[in-house]
Amino acid sequence: MRQRGFSLVELLFALLILTLVITTTLAVFIERNRRLQQASELILAYQVLANEVELQRRVPFADVLPMGSFTTSTDLLRPLQPYSTSIDVTATSPGVKTVTMMIKWRNGKKQAKLAIMRVDTGGGNLW
Amino acid sequence: MVRRRSRGFTLLELVVTLAIFGTFLMILGVLSLEMRRQERRYPVNFMQHPQVIAVLSRMRRDVLDAFGSNPYRDNAGNGKYTQSPKTLIIDTIVSNGVQTVVWDFNTPREVHRISYNVGVATEWVARGLPPDFAANIDAVETPGHPFGVRFTAKDGNGKLAIDQYLQPRAHD
Repeated sequence: MRQRGFSLVELLFALLILTLVITTTLAVFIERNRRLQQASELILAYQVLANEVELQRRVPFADVLPMGSFTTSTDLLRPLQPYSTSIDVTATSPGVKTVTMMIKWRNGKKQAKLAIMRVDTGGGNLW
Repeated sequence: MVRRRSRGFTLLELVVTLAIFGTFLMILGVLSLEMRRQERRYPVNFMQHPQVIAVLSRMRRDVLDAFGSNPYRDNAGNGKYTQSPKTLIIDTIVSNGVQTVVWDFNTPREVHRISYNVGVATEWVARGLPPDFAANIDAVETPGHPFGVRFTAKDGNGKLAIDQYLQPRAHD
């Protein structure tokens, strides 16, 4: 019986299947990692945003002003370094201000923001 | 008798096999390093743990519905519980009035919520918390408002994983 190995076509076909399997597995793995990282970052960012909201909703209306950084702790954002935080205030109508808190990281490519509306109630601000 | 010539692999076959194997190893190595790097960089994501979410949600409600200008008692349960970074004692509004609630984080992997209603204690326990979940309770001061609660939790590597400010809301 004549002994012969695989033909070139068989070999190429096998390699093609192998490459497809490896590439797909790698792509899935990398995408999963990317999404996990994204989720971790967003969870940290939104905790910090919510904490700043807790403070901003208690600041007297006249003192609600734009700021270059948050007043509350940003220790949670350490894994996102370098990052920046800012507070933007827009007077949408008399006695109404929209306060937007923003966190940027990855050189500004990623950002998370949370906005609240403050209304001048005239008297002492509510708890 | 036919004698079959036995021969090993050729150098080319060996080289190709080793190259494929090496590529696999390299990919595995790079991916493992990347995963390790991420593990070291980010804290454990406790916010995906159902028990942690349950504890946080329930505690948030207790703090947001806190009663009075100083809702934090020094102790409760006839001195069994004392206000500390591992124990939060708070007067909170419930459907039938005001209750004193104790949040006890002293037992590893468990969180106990004991509510006192006319001297009768009712306990809710969250079991099976992550083993490396280390919670801490602190006070947050906002001038002109009752003190708030700052709840933090670190993971096994000492990384800050949860940091939440809970501030009592105004009530009539």
